[in-house]
Amino acid sequence: MTTAIAISNLTKRYDTVTALSDISLAVESGEIMGFLGPNGAGKTTALRILTGMIAPTSGTVRIEDLDATERPVEVRRRIGYMPETIALYPELRIQEYLSYRAAIKGVVRSHRRTRIDTALAQCGLMDVRRQLIGRLSKGYRQRVALADCLISQPRILILDEPTVGLDPHQIRQTRELITALGRTTTILLSTHILPEVEMTCRRVAIIDKGRIVAVDTPANLRQRMHGIPLVRVQLRGEARAIEEALRRVPGVARVTSHGQVDGVAAFELATAAGADVREAIFRLAVERQWVLRELAQTQASLEDVFIHLTTKEQDA
Amino acid sequence: MQNLLALTSRELKSFWYSPVAYVVGALFLLLQGYVFGLLITALNDPAADVSISIAQAFFGPTFFYSISILITAPFLTMRTFSEEKRTGSIELLLTAPVTDMQVVLSKFLGAWLAYVILWGLTVVYFIGLRQLTAFDWGPVLTGYLGAWMLGAVLIAIGVLASSLTRNQVVAAILSFVTLLLLFSLGIFEWFIRDPETSKTIRYLSLLEHLNDFSKGILDTRPMVLYTTLTAICLFLTGRVINSPRWRS
Repeated sequence: MTTAIAISNLTKRYDTVTALSDISLAVESGEIMGFLGPNGAGKTTALRILTGMIAPTSGTVRIEDLDATERPVEVRRRIGYMPETIALYPELRIQEYLSYRAAIKGVVRSHRRTRIDTALAQCGLMDVRRQLIGRLSKGYRQRVALADCLISQPRILILDEPTVGLDPHQIRQTRELITALGRTTTILLSTHILPEVEMTCRRVAIIDKGRIVAVDTPANLRQRMHGIPLVRVQLRGEARAIEEALRRVPGVARVTSHGQVDGVAAFELATAAGADVREAIFRLAVERQWVLRELAQTQASLEDVFIHLTTKEQDA
Repeated sequence: MQNLLALTSRELKSFWYSPVAYVVGALFLLLQGYVFGLLITALNDPAADVSISIAQAFFGPTFFYSISILITAPFLTMRTFSEEKRTGSIELLLTAPVTDMQVVLSKFLGAWLAYVILWGLTVVYFIGLRQLTAFDWGPVLTGYLGAWMLGAVLIAIGVLASSLTRNQVVAAILSFVTLLLLFSLGIFEWFIRDPETSKTIRYLSLLEHLNDFSKGILDTRPMVLYTTLTAICLFLTGRVINSPRWRS
């Protein structure tokens, strides 16, 4: 497999903030890679650098072996990009807009008609193709932007939060379309919605505070957390004292308080790899005479992985 | 080239889709029509100065002429970059496989062609007049050439101003004030004794050269001036939209 997108040591600094610090990532051609991170993690900044919208402070981006800063136009010809905030020309009709986009993207005149029709059909826009973009709902505008991405049949698609603002039905359609496109196209999509990544992506890069904290398949990421099961505990007693005591139990890595209701304090514990802390907690409860209301070990979800990876620094 | 064509035609098309085009166009034509009417009346007066031709009066640097282009150009250009920047549509434009220069040129050409078309429409006045009386078409043609070439400078300044702000009104005011200052450059000539400086100022005051164009004189010096100023403004616009601050 060849590398479609190669990001190496990319750093982007604004006046005082560092949006990206030294990130490296390789997307193989033909794979769907998810770019996952909380809001403000640097996802959009990274994608905007890939598309040549903004220049990096340092580092390089190669798209199919072309340097993005040296040959921006050729690179952009290979990419279909859907930005986070979609602003189109409200005065144009959908068909008119797509025809304009096809022309500036270098689609030869004789192919334009069929390409536009294909894109319209793929994105479910056939029936509204004569409508003014300004009168469309957000969901439809989103689809027009997606159709625009597809019109030049690029080998690489870069989609920034492609399902934000869509209704559940549209979200499902869009995910199906992305999965279908992924069979022939390299796709890098950013999102902060976890199920989306689990459903569509072959690999996931988790980004937090401008750094890539993990790159793996969704299954492997979950596996990695498997040795670190989460334990849910509810005890009746003084919350502060319980939290203190739980922290001292051998094998407990992190204690998250979930508040106190009717004198019962709820906690979630992350444990060190291989440790089973349940019996120790039971003995602790007996010893301190705290009534045990709940004690359960749960499977790590991708959400837990995500939270674990993106909150580690704050806890340390 | 295909890119530039597609971009420019989008610019021009969007322009005619907006009400601004019709308001500005109507005002421009109304003003020019009024001026033309005044001129006919004045030139019809038996006591009129026979040495002044209709082309000279219509295309010369008169008050009406300067006021009409002073208003038209900022209106035609104010949206070009500021609106795309404000809505964010600029992102899809700049991430398409086009160069920055193509984008700048298309914005310029779109607005300038609209300007050329507006002026072009006034030819009906002359066609109408031709039914009634004979006149020399030569100065009329060079008059148009002068209007269009000077227009290129004004439009390029307007495009530059539009790239500097995301607010169309601010863009319009910025280009209006800049043009006003440029137009009034001639005033300084009165205060300057040094003949060389005074000559330079006369060369740089844009409206001055319209005298030649309206007399049917084709001088390359004003053409070089107009073209150079246009190119400088477009180059600067390119620099502006390429700057990291503008793109973030």
